[in-house]
Amino acid sequence: MELSYPLWSDAPQPALLASRDRKTRELIFPAVPDASPLAGEHETVAVDGVGEVYSFTVIHPGKKSGETPYALGLVDFTGPVRIFGRLNGEARPTIGAKYTARRDEQFGYAFEAVKA
Amino acid sequence: MQDIYITGGAMTPFGRHPGVMAPELAQQAILKAMDDAGVTKDEIQAVYCANVLGGMILGQLIVRDLGFKGIPVYNVENACASGATGVHLARHALLAQQYDTVLVFGIEQLTALGGGTIPLQRNDHKTELYAKAGMVLPAVYAMRGTRFLHERDATPADLAAIAVKNRRNGSLNEFAQQRTEVTVEEVLASRMIADPLTLLQCCPSQVDGAAAVVVSTRSGKSRKPVKVLSSVVVSGIREEADDDILDAEITARAARQAYEQAGLGPEDVNVVELHDAFTIAELLYYEALGLAARGDAVSLLKSGATQLGGRVPVNPSGGLLAKGHPLGATGVAQMVEIMWHLQGRAGARQVADAKVGLTQCTGGGIAGVDHAASSVHLLGV
Repeated sequence: MELSYPLWSDAPQPALLASRDRKTRELIFPAVPDASPLAGEHETVAVDGVGEVYSFTVIHPGKKSGETPYALGLVDFTGPVRIFGRLNGEARPTIGAKYTARRDEQFGYAFEAVKA
Repeated sequence: MQDIYITGGAMTPFGRHPGVMAPELAQQAILKAMDDAGVTKDEIQAVYCANVLGGMILGQLIVRDLGFKGIPVYNVENACASGATGVHLARHALLAQQYDTVLVFGIEQLTALGGGTIPLQRNDHKTELYAKAGMVLPAVYAMRGTRFLHERDATPADLAAIAVKNRRNGSLNEFAQQRTEVTVEEVLASRMIADPLTLLQCCPSQVDGAAAVVVSTRSGKSRKPVKVLSSVVVSGIREEADDDILDAEITARAARQAYEQAGLGPEDVNVVELHDAFTIAELLYYEALGLAARGDAVSLLKSGATQLGGRVPVNPSGGLLAKGHPLGATGVAQMVEIMWHLQGRAGARQVADAKVGLTQCTGGGIAGVDHAASSVHLLGV
């Protein structure tokens, strides 16, 4: 389904996009939808770089689902902006661990553990 | 200001009610509540129906055959805070002298969903995106639990101790869905759901139930009048990037307003029914409600103050963890429980000499970690 807001930049190294309030400079994710009457009060900016896990959980789906455990978390990025999403690359993340955003076909985006 | 009273209340047992549809279930609570209040249908001037997932005009369907003769029926949805919001709105109308006596009931049939985690709403671009990524309430509370264990001098056993306490209370409550006492070891050994929360730290998702209260400007004659000392509903604020997910800001804000409205403080509260959908929630709400200072939730729990017989018993009903959490019914059921304690009618789980009780419930989310709605009521005799 086509999104009503920009999720990724089309730069050579794509970045997640957020909206910055032109007055307060506060960042919000995801970006304000194009059709929002608030869109004019915001500018679209890229969420760059590497973020740190603020908190996380590992979900253990029931056996019937056939799914394996997966990690979810809140990641703090420079901006500042805190974004919720899947945490890939480590079976059990840690608070403070570094993650970066990657495109994900199923979810639109996910965070990948940055290897030391 | 006009005094407002809860003059009667009732609830169905919370649990699975196969073959019983919403009207029959809700009517059980409604008729018992009216009988408890000693009012006839002709004295009820308006009806407030709190429900989340039951569909359009549920309130009208439920009362259609009860002979209310076309009085206003208001359907109230505010996620898990729907029932408390119904009472709050009823109080507004009574204070505005629109009515003298009204009925508020909550009803939910979660067994109709077939099991599993209750989905969060996906009705804006952010909730849609986050729900797709896996944001469900167990995940939200679990992330709070992880952060709590990281920041505080606390262990998973401290979280489990909440389940032990509340399930012990639930074993004394004939209206509770789960009435088996458990140990810390059993709680921790139960299936992991959302780390660090195990199955016995989550409220059951397969539960039906209804609860009703009669709210009036008249105190009633039959029993000790239960006065609504304060009634607050507040909404969530968009969280900032550096938000502290342990401060339960929305509930702390609701509590401050409720205490101020009543002219009371947390030290005046004798019994509490709060929204322990997951164990971590109760610890956070100890602090948000002012029962414990910031950082002292685990100490309060370990002191025994919040168990039956303690200084301020919390969730004597068994709470959501043991009693069950049929969303729309929960807020009303909390008030029925507190009413019973204030009137000395709570049976084996009675809190001795309770004069002031507090109810607190939160509802939904707006894609942050704190909630969309929170309601705090103080009731007193």
